[in-house]
Amino acid sequence: MADADKKVIELFYDTISPYSWIAFEVLCRYRSRWNIDLRLRPFSLAAVVTETGNSPPGRVPAKLKWMGKDLMRQAYFYKIPFRGRKDPNNDMANKHNINVMLLLTAVTMDCPQHLESLTRELWLRFWSREEDITQPASLEAAATAAGIPADQTAALLAKLQDETVKARLTETTQEALRHGAFGAPTIVAHVGGKPHMYWGSDRFLLIADVLGEEWQGPLTELAHL
Amino acid sequence: MAAPVQARKTVEFFYDVLSPYTWLAFEVMCRYQQKWNIDLKLRPFFLAGIMKGADNRPPAMVPAKGQYMTKDVLMLTDMYKVPFNWPSNPTEVMFVKGSVNAGRFLTAVDMSCEQYLEELTRQLFLRIYYRDEDITEPASLLSAAMKAGIPEDLAKQLLSTIKDQTVKDRLRETTQTALDYGAFGSPTIVAHVDGKPKMFFGSDRFELMAHMLGEKWHGPLPELAKAKI
Repeated sequence: MADADKKVIELFYDTISPYSWIAFEVLCRYRSRWNIDLRLRPFSLAAVVTETGNSPPGRVPAKLKWMGKDLMRQAYFYKIPFRGRKDPNNDMANKHNINVMLLLTAVTMDCPQHLESLTRELWLRFWSREEDITQPASLEAAATAAGIPADQTAALLAKLQDETVKARLTETTQEALRHGAFGAPTIVAHVGGKPHMYWGSDRFLLIADVLGEEWQGPLTELAHL
Repeated sequence: MAAPVQARKTVEFFYDVLSPYTWLAFEVMCRYQQKWNIDLKLRPFFLAGIMKGADNRPPAMVPAKGQYMTKDVLMLTDMYKVPFNWPSNPTEVMFVKGSVNAGRFLTAVDMSCEQYLEELTRQLFLRIYYRDEDITEPASLLSAAMKAGIPEDLAKQLLSTIKDQTVKDRLRETTQTALDYGAFGSPTIVAHVDGKPKMFFGSDRFELMAHMLGEKWHGPLPELAKAKI
């Protein structure tokens, strides 16, 4: 099938967001079922939340409690090894930082063939194995586990604070904001020359419809994990 | 010997007619009453009480989120074949006029003649979110009741009870029951599976709910749409 026929779907995501992990796995599985060109766009959720005057959902205790259960049910349903964290609010504030998204941005720029596997590895570290992802050694371990060669990993880690990388992350985030983003995941399906924006990991029926495709469920047989 | 019939699973639907996503969920649950082995129990509650009890805020207070939801509701109601139109002044409808009388009237009907509760709920949704009509005045509630098939005498009698302590208490109790299940918004759906309550929030967890009920999700079933316009 000609690539020109494929409809572009952009997934704007931040590894701090567990619902983004669901959207990520679903879209990766659907690449083999739908005629789509999936583009992974790491962005900064913190910047989006600040710019839109939004607040993290965990501010409401009953909502946070429900989200914990919801994510465990979804993890089981979609066969994604999400295990939560003992203190999610605290950890999202203190145990995740912009360096993670800068690393993914650098990978997008220099070796995009590793973007999917590194993204998955970072989610596994943070939301499945409750491991650190803030220390350089942790980022190095993630890159290695994702199959990035040692010298490439060293080069990527060395450029995290470069202006070009920061600018690229900012640009991607601004692009999401221009599409109307206020949270993560933000999915943009380009159909008939028009962008169609969806928020969350629970609009796949609508996305299938706009693509002229069919929703075939969680496709757990295509799980990468 | 015939195989034992599986007992119906109780699914409680806690709702306030002020919420557009609630109409979507309501119509889907009514359609699935025929398809799934469930006993659907409609539980009118008071959303303002839920928001207060859970210390939550309405979502549209974030402008970009409000803009997204405006489109989202239209896309979903179109796909689900629910005849939704945004009122000309949604802020006034949702935050100024509110739903306390509608909630009490639904409660009174639930207490006395619950066979009309589904259609009365639907008629109230059609007033507020199809025809941009009032749902706060007695005349409005009476009109909805009669369209729901409630005999005029009975409708007037029930309307006269909406300020009774028993009715107010019942609405408050239902609201508290939902809060005790962990509710923070509308709709709040509680499916009872193997003696355990499973709470779901929103109108976008049906596939997951089906899975947990041991049933199959067939999508929004627009061909079973009941809202006649």
